[in-house]
Amino acid sequence: MNCTRRNFLIGGSTTLFLSGYFPKISFASMQKKNLIIISLRGGMDGLTAVPVIGDKRLKKLRKKLILEDVLNLNSDFGLHPKLEIFHKLWQKNQAAFVHATNIPYTGRSHFDGQNLMETGAHIPYKEKTGWLGRGLLASNIIGKGLAISLPMPLLLRGVPQNNNFFPSPDFVETKLIDQIYNEFKGEHNELIKSTLDTIRQRPLSMQIATDSDDRKKLALEAAKQLKDQSGPRVAVFDLDGFDTHAAQGGVDGAHADELEEVNKIVTILHENLGQAFDNTLILTLTEFGRTIKQNGGYGTEHGYGSAILMAGGLLNKSQVYTDWPGLKKKELFEGRDLNSTIDSRAVYNSAMSVCFNQDPEFLRKEVFWGDELPDLSQDLFKI
Amino acid sequence: MSLKFYRRVAFGLSPNDKPDKDPLNWALNQLDTIPNLLWSGIIPTEKELRKKYGEWVYGDREVLRKTFKNDKHAYKKAKDELRIKTGERYFELNEHAIRHYQTKYSKQPVFERFWLFWGNHFAISEKDFLAEFSTGPYQREIIRPNMVKTFEEMVQSVTTSWCMIHHLDNSESFGPNSKKGMEWRETINENHARELLELHTVSPNAGYTQDDVIQLAYIMTGWAHKWDRKNLETGDIWFDQEMHQKGDKIVLGVKYKNDAKRELAKVIHDLATHPICIKFVSTKLCRHFITDEPTEEMIDPVIEAWNKSNGSLIEIHKAVITQAYKYNEITHKFHPPEIWLMQLSRMFDLNIPLSFEKMNYTFKSKPNNRQRQLSWILREIGHSPYRAKQPNGWSDLEVDWVSPELLLRRLWFASVELPMLVKSGNRSHGFILSCLKNNFEDHKNMASLIDNFRFGTSDYDLGQKYGVICNLPGVLKI
Repeated sequence: MNCTRRNFLIGGSTTLFLSGYFPKISFASMQKKNLIIISLRGGMDGLTAVPVIGDKRLKKLRKKLILEDVLNLNSDFGLHPKLEIFHKLWQKNQAAFVHATNIPYTGRSHFDGQNLMETGAHIPYKEKTGWLGRGLLASNIIGKGLAISLPMPLLLRGVPQNNNFFPSPDFVETKLIDQIYNEFKGEHNELIKSTLDTIRQRPLSMQIATDSDDRKKLALEAAKQLKDQSGPRVAVFDLDGFDTHAAQGGVDGAHADELEEVNKIVTILHENLGQAFDNTLILTLTEFGRTIKQNGGYGTEHGYGSAILMAGGLLNKSQVYTDWPGLKKKELFEGRDLNSTIDSRAVYNSAMSVCFNQDPEFLRKEVFWGDELPDLSQDLFKI
Repeated sequence: MSLKFYRRVAFGLSPNDKPDKDPLNWALNQLDTIPNLLWSGIIPTEKELRKKYGEWVYGDREVLRKTFKNDKHAYKKAKDELRIKTGERYFELNEHAIRHYQTKYSKQPVFERFWLFWGNHFAISEKDFLAEFSTGPYQREIIRPNMVKTFEEMVQSVTTSWCMIHHLDNSESFGPNSKKGMEWRETINENHARELLELHTVSPNAGYTQDDVIQLAYIMTGWAHKWDRKNLETGDIWFDQEMHQKGDKIVLGVKYKNDAKRELAKVIHDLATHPICIKFVSTKLCRHFITDEPTEEMIDPVIEAWNKSNGSLIEIHKAVITQAYKYNEITHKFHPPEIWLMQLSRMFDLNIPLSFEKMNYTFKSKPNNRQRQLSWILREIGHSPYRAKQPNGWSDLEVDWVSPELLLRRLWFASVELPMLVKSGNRSHGFILSCLKNNFEDHKNMASLIDNFRFGTSDYDLGQKYGVICNLPGVLKI
């Protein structure tokens, strides 16, 4: 790739940051908008998902990880062949990517990193709530979060009455739930009590028993809920296994298997949201990218900059949005990782502002402690 | 002193256990020796199971994939047969039975709680076939014997164990200036070094840098499995001088002279006796036994015992129990699903784990449903012990275990599944009342909640009773 960092800067987002925000009240904004986050735990390799084309240095450093049959995006970037649905949506301006981006965390620890990707903070374990939970609370959207996992992800904590969906093999009788609910008293039992209350208020279709191993069924139910105008507005999927220290592989390696899972979920959401897909944003979230160079086990180490995969009708257009830092040794972070030139929290803040019909300035203050996060909504999303 | 102490530091009282006159001493007296494993079924060694692991990966990777490269269905069939033959589907079930047999019947249940704690502190998360073949025996052979030694000795054993080295990829870490590193142009894999600092010893509170991680990884290079064509990655651990980074190393400001395999013991000594490590691990112990956010007053006596005894785990454990006793009445602790299940199993004498006769296995067909039952339950309540998602193990915090679905799973287990685990002699209402009386001060109130079903002994009736009893505030959260 020949372009330099400056001439590759797409869009003039930073000016908008100063220009104020005037939400448009129209029929479109009356429609419920959905925000779906897919957490990719372990450190998703942005350069495997959205590889830069024709970079000799990358080829040299990643001899055993080079992809063949990359799907074409534009002259500079390709797409991993397992991410077919994104390629299909790209043709319809419904898929886009932010590249060379990450949360402002450079420590390379999964646990600290995952904590920070969910809290949106700077110091690990300091905050007990997630940015998405705080964003919902600040926007006064209560009881509209849905997690597709057994535990409640940190990302959604901070707003009461979230739901999750991961059904057990058999029914639990409503009267038992009520009876237990009535027994919980006292301050130290508040969390359990409010969670039991959420269970009591679940929609009927969620009171089923099914095989929760089947990701398709879970994604299907999530789509069904999100499609409902009075249903949840936010859903969180959790995937892990991106920590490919060994046998990361190219088209069929360990990273490819994980990307295939992402592809599966997005495909089902797209097929089953129907019209609601037009009012939906799907964004991925990870703790860090991976090193440029392959390691001793033909895997990669923990790195820094990664990419965000995006899909949905609320995207502005198909694009790889980046302020590309380059892959020369001196352009890399600490000489080893793709740098991050976009604070990914700016993307999430902008996405929340679009989906929650909220002023990004307001959210930035309420959710991210007023950190300097440019408003990217005009560049990335339909507002 | 309330009866909840028996659940705080152990698994409650079984119908055969009686409350002790001096509960603190009852607990303290359980920590000096390692109780025998009570399981009379097969208890294979780590090495035996690693050999099975080797047969499984070699058979699949080297033989079947090549033999059946053009026939997907024949490959699948042959692979399933190999799974059965090597016990790939079986050994984890057997390990769960061994583990739950201890927590249910051990005369030293307090020791067993610490066993669970350390297995989770030095967690092996879900990777490759570790849960199937290795995590159980690792906890029996590496964690358990070290529980009467020092913390430092525990870290030494864990760090050079096959299971942890495979788990954190240290066999793939080459010193770039080592003979093999230069020859094969290989470099370090930082994973194990990072977790040794972050999770096992000093924690990020020590303020180590990326350079410290790299330097520690250099020290650790060479500790790897011995590779050969037949055993693949399941060979014994040795120190391969030809992988070891030459030269002096500096970790957390301390210089370690070029000293080959002896470097590791030295750096582990410094890490395991570091004041920040002592505080970090003491806090985790207090979190497990006392409350999610332990205060300095709770933790300090544990640190003191640690320093006074030079890290003797027996003394550390005693200090933790003493603190748990001291704060028993004024603190609350929510137990994760597996401990809750173990408590129910002990208090109500449930029919899990299966008897060792019934766990007998011929390696000729799939394990049957009864053999799979305990492991299946653990998975369904969200807590399959050898399958933590990350190397930091399972959380000890209430917020991580309270979600609508996780609570529903407990309600489901107690009201639907548990009745099928009640022994035929234990189905009377009187039996439940006597178990409640043995374990709860407010047993009369609890009994009044299930009085409507006092005459019923069907699965449905028992489900109505246990569904309530097992999920009451004082049971879910002591």
